[in-house]
Amino acid sequence: MPGYHSSGRRLRTGETVIRTERPHLRIGDFCLRDASLKVARGEYFVLLGPPGSGKSVFLECLCGLKRLDSGRIHIDNRDVTHLEPRERGIGYVPQDHALFPHISVEGNIHFGLRARHVRRGEISRRTREVAETLGIGHLLERRIAGLSGGERQRVALARALVVGPKILLLDEPVSTLDESTREAVCGELRRIQRRFGVTTIHVSHLLEEAFSVADRAGILRNGAFQQVGPLSELLRKPQSEFVARFMRCENLFHGQAVGPAKEPQASVRAGPAEAAGSTEVHAGDVPFVVPGRHSGDVSFMVRPEKIRIVHAGEQVGSGRMALDGRLIQTVDRGAYVRAELDGPVRLVAHLSHAAFDDLRPSIGGKLVAVIGRDSVHVIPTQK
Amino acid sequence: MAAVDTPVRGWRSRFFAAGTLFFLVVFVTCALLLILTNLAYIDKRAVVTILTSGFIREALWLSLWTSSTTTVIAVIFAIPMGYALSRYRFPGHVLVDTIVDLPIVFPPLVAGLCLLVFFAHLSGTQVGQWMERIGLKFVFQPKGIVLCQLVVTASFAIRSAKTAFDEVDRRFENVSLTLGCTRWGSFRRISLPLAMNGVITGAILTWSRAFGTFGPLMIFVGAFRGRTEVLSTTIFLEQSVGNLEVALAVALLLIGVALVCLVTIRLVGGCALVKL
Repeated sequence: MPGYHSSGRRLRTGETVIRTERPHLRIGDFCLRDASLKVARGEYFVLLGPPGSGKSVFLECLCGLKRLDSGRIHIDNRDVTHLEPRERGIGYVPQDHALFPHISVEGNIHFGLRARHVRRGEISRRTREVAETLGIGHLLERRIAGLSGGERQRVALARALVVGPKILLLDEPVSTLDESTREAVCGELRRIQRRFGVTTIHVSHLLEEAFSVADRAGILRNGAFQQVGPLSELLRKPQSEFVARFMRCENLFHGQAVGPAKEPQASVRAGPAEAAGSTEVHAGDVPFVVPGRHSGDVSFMVRPEKIRIVHAGEQVGSGRMALDGRLIQTVDRGAYVRAELDGPVRLVAHLSHAAFDDLRPSIGGKLVAVIGRDSVHVIPTQK
Repeated sequence: MAAVDTPVRGWRSRFFAAGTLFFLVVFVTCALLLILTNLAYIDKRAVVTILTSGFIREALWLSLWTSSTTTVIAVIFAIPMGYALSRYRFPGHVLVDTIVDLPIVFPPLVAGLCLLVFFAHLSGTQVGQWMERIGLKFVFQPKGIVLCQLVVTASFAIRSAKTAFDEVDRRFENVSLTLGCTRWGSFRRISLPLAMNGVITGAILTWSRAFGTFGPLMIFVGAFRGRTEVLSTTIFLEQSVGNLEVALAVALLLIGVALVCLVTIRLVGGCALVKL
């Protein structure tokens, strides 16, 4: 998964450009309720969520295409809650791009400039400039009907960018493209966003898309943000089971806290993490040691890339949990090998190819999963 | 000629196709027979009459200009009405939508009767007297022809326009709004051009219906030779004095003009003016 490497991406901590304060909007059964958000200048923010979670509605509220019942929207230090779409300084690319079919590519791109009564000379200069930057200078005379998916996307971007928007709102911009071009186009999007320096919100339901572009991401569910932060944080420290599942975290367990973990476990490595102590949690019959003091029901996840697999009988090392299991499936995922172990609990481990080659396991073979304490993350109980 | 995407056909499919085509053939044959029988009745005298008669030429001219004027007025109303019906939801929307369609199901004679009663009532009021003073007279006047045609045909233009605006994707308008358009700008640059095909089709439909209107005219403007006589009135007048051949010749002229209109509609509908 490319996302494992994307955590170190530069993040500008400039001033806030987009700020939503408790926007509230009811449409039939759906309700946008707890979607307060801050996005910094120049940031590339990805809005994730399952279908029907309100991503597009949120974007349309930012655009002014839907009127809020209550709450405030600020764009570039201006309260735009009651401003018309044209006064908000936004560039909007809806799903499937919505290119105007009755005018040429050039007509589409300079549409915003003509609507704003920009001078003729200025129109053709800016149109050409943005088209050249996006590599579609040769398409200007063409009709929309004959364009490929990638070309359409660039035209839609050019149309949104030519008016010099303060923020760019992209609704599922690459969902219509096939998988092989999607990643390349995402890279392109990122490059264009940097080139124009425009703060961007990108709506997607695909995790892979977020990994290839996002500075930060937010996960929306039923019109409320579940968690907002860098993807690495969403991936490694999900704040709810929903987020964990959405981020396709594996090894999610539920258990009962039985009491503080025994001393030897806790004192193996005395670091700041241990200061808070640890708790023994029984998931089924299997005792796990999780960081922090807990009581009652505890949900936690074991990060698959942190699990080490050894052959049965090998030294495990003290302070680590060892779980026996049989290997039931391995899948080569390109960057890593996904190995599934069936034992007292079902565990998934992501092994590097080097580790996998050293191990040379056979399906059905007896193995031991070694879990360090730092690879267990407790998911906060939901209110 | 087999279509490119025709799947492999077994005897059942062929039987089904033959069944549907049978009804098509029966209908078209009947329609053609009707016209051909008429043709058989027409003699040389009738053709000479319709080519030389000043009354018939005037009637044709009156038919053409009244139906064209009706079409222009209908379209002027249809565009904003179609847009409003398509885009705005207001209390009574369903009722208004139904009333717009009402004249389509109105018996034409009833439309004429309604108009006559309305204007008879109006002439007794201040408004009616004022209208008469400035020369706005409709009853038994050529202007009344346009009014009758409007009442029975405007619905087609409005309905077509509404359907056309319904088919314009809202997202196009939304994007244009974010790009700096006002509502009017968005309507002018996006909605109207994209709905133009439907508006034009509606206009042609309106024109051809207006061209053949007869029922309400008989009641509201009468059948005065050379004054309120349109082609359909001519047919009535000729056959009422026993000139059946001439009446049929005029009827064929009417059918011919209507046919040209229908073919135009097909062409406009088939190869849309705006390539989408």
